[in-house]
Amino acid sequence: MTTMTSNALCFGDEFPASGAPCFVQVDGDGLTITVESEGDDGAGEAVPFSALTVSAGGLDHDHLVVKWTRVQGERTLYLKSPDVIRAFRETVPNHLSLPFAQAAEQVQQVRHRRRLVWSLVSGAILAMVLGLWFGSDLFVELAVSWIPVEWEQKLGESAYRDFLSHQEVMKEGPAVTALGEMTHRLTEQIPNNPYRFEVTVVKSDVVNAFALPGGYVVVFTGLMKKAESGEEVAGVLSHELNHVLQRHGLERIVKSLGLLTVAAIVLGNQQGLVGMMNQLGVELLTLKFGREQETEADLTGLQLLQRAKIDPSGMIRFFERLSEKDQGRMEWLSTHPMSTARAERLKAELAALPKKSPEPFTFEWKQVQTSLGSQPVAAP
Amino acid sequence: MKSEILYPGAFPMVRVDLAAGEHIKAESGAMVACSPTIDIESKMEGGFLGALSRKFLTGEKFFFQTLRASRGPGEVLLAPTVPGEIVILELDGVNEYMVQKDGFLAGADGILIESKMQSLSRGLLGGEGFFILKISGKGMLALNSFGAIHKIELKPDQEYIVDNSHLVAWSSTTSYSIEKATSGWVASFTSGEGFVCRFRGPGLVYIQSRNPGSFGAWIRQFIPVSE
Repeated sequence: MTTMTSNALCFGDEFPASGAPCFVQVDGDGLTITVESEGDDGAGEAVPFSALTVSAGGLDHDHLVVKWTRVQGERTLYLKSPDVIRAFRETVPNHLSLPFAQAAEQVQQVRHRRRLVWSLVSGAILAMVLGLWFGSDLFVELAVSWIPVEWEQKLGESAYRDFLSHQEVMKEGPAVTALGEMTHRLTEQIPNNPYRFEVTVVKSDVVNAFALPGGYVVVFTGLMKKAESGEEVAGVLSHELNHVLQRHGLERIVKSLGLLTVAAIVLGNQQGLVGMMNQLGVELLTLKFGREQETEADLTGLQLLQRAKIDPSGMIRFFERLSEKDQGRMEWLSTHPMSTARAERLKAELAALPKKSPEPFTFEWKQVQTSLGSQPVAAP
Repeated sequence: MKSEILYPGAFPMVRVDLAAGEHIKAESGAMVACSPTIDIESKMEGGFLGALSRKFLTGEKFFFQTLRASRGPGEVLLAPTVPGEIVILELDGVNEYMVQKDGFLAGADGILIESKMQSLSRGLLGGEGFFILKISGKGMLALNSFGAIHKIELKPDQEYIVDNSHLVAWSSTTSYSIEKATSGWVASFTSGEGFVCRFRGPGLVYIQSRNPGSFGAWIRQFIPVSE
């Protein structure tokens, strides 16, 4: 028996704590254990199955632990070799097969649980990565939802004042009064409106209007000159107000700058604030909304017009007319690309809304346009 | 192959005598001096993927160095990076040890080193990270510690509690569970122990008398902060 190599560790009072390497053999009615250090006599210790108890043990419950009691004390065998365990399992008598099965099940359970935990953890990590990748819009919306309106107003106001300081603002006149009436009629219809809307008319031939976060809206006289009726301007205004109400500007900022930056700007030190604000002013004015945001503003804008009893078809007409002809500096179109699909969708939406008889404005649109010093656009 | 620990205590070295043709593997950077007959090779133990996983998962070095007495017998002096004792174990082919990632210094050629993933709770709270080294095989194994190495011998079912960051190596016949140091959560942390490992025998547990993490935190307060 000189060729045998140890395949198990035997623990007992007379052995070192690290265990004595030993050779385990399975035969018909028990185990023969030959401990290396005392194995020179070649006999080994034969232990009948009836004297054994088995369980699972070791660091990962991957050892088969066999115990038996001798006159000198208890001995414990740690088996890991698959061959021995298989041989043991095949010849094991009835009284041991139940604990054996239990031990095997325990090993399975430990492995299964570990696999489960790890797959849960990696699943969670994967879900987080995918969520950040594909669901960033959702995160942005979530982040935006807990930014207070005051922050938004701070952000918008700074860019607004900065912009107006370089522009010729129209303080009074029929155009300002007319726009004031439109704004009033529209904002009246907004339930729980957290914003104090400020609409300014700026003298410029640019056909444009835009809204900043916090309720700051700028309408250029160029757009008012191009409009054929007050309802058309009201349509654009309603669209812009809804960008503010849906917090589209904030969503874009959070998306491009990150929430932390926004917090830093609003809460940060004053020096840094000014620089950041100037930087942000540029960002805000060049802000482009996404297609989905435009659609949303279109639809909610249409509904708002309807509630305010302003003829919503003016909005669609204005959009369509602008898209048909290339009429000089159509800035509004560059940020609000017009498509037949968009107009069609608006028309369909309008058809679905309950018919309301529109109430006309108190001002005469032709007079407003004359006051702007333009030739009223000839009706087609 | 014969090995001997020189200057036992805080700053020991291991001298390994190699017969012609014999070789050992050691942690990269462990060689201090050697005879001119020794060739130093670097080797990715366990192949490229094995080395890669060891590097990224356990933080152990990507390469082990192999010191080979290719031109006749010679001796090699090896030392770890940190001050602390070295212990030499003789593996018999049946014994297996789990070694925390900084514990391996050198091993005979017959020694097998694998990285092994721990269970989630042990990885998070055990203080050795998610991956440890599983060392098996036959021959000499040198482990190093931070501080002195203390051997705990556990009889079957005997239990012992060890602070998680003091572990160096433990036999695979032991098992352990992570638990709070005291019965309450707050006291667990205010006692300064946090989590502890409850080991259950049979087998050996090697622990180090100093905790590298705490030492790092202690020394950090003396490092001047640059403006």
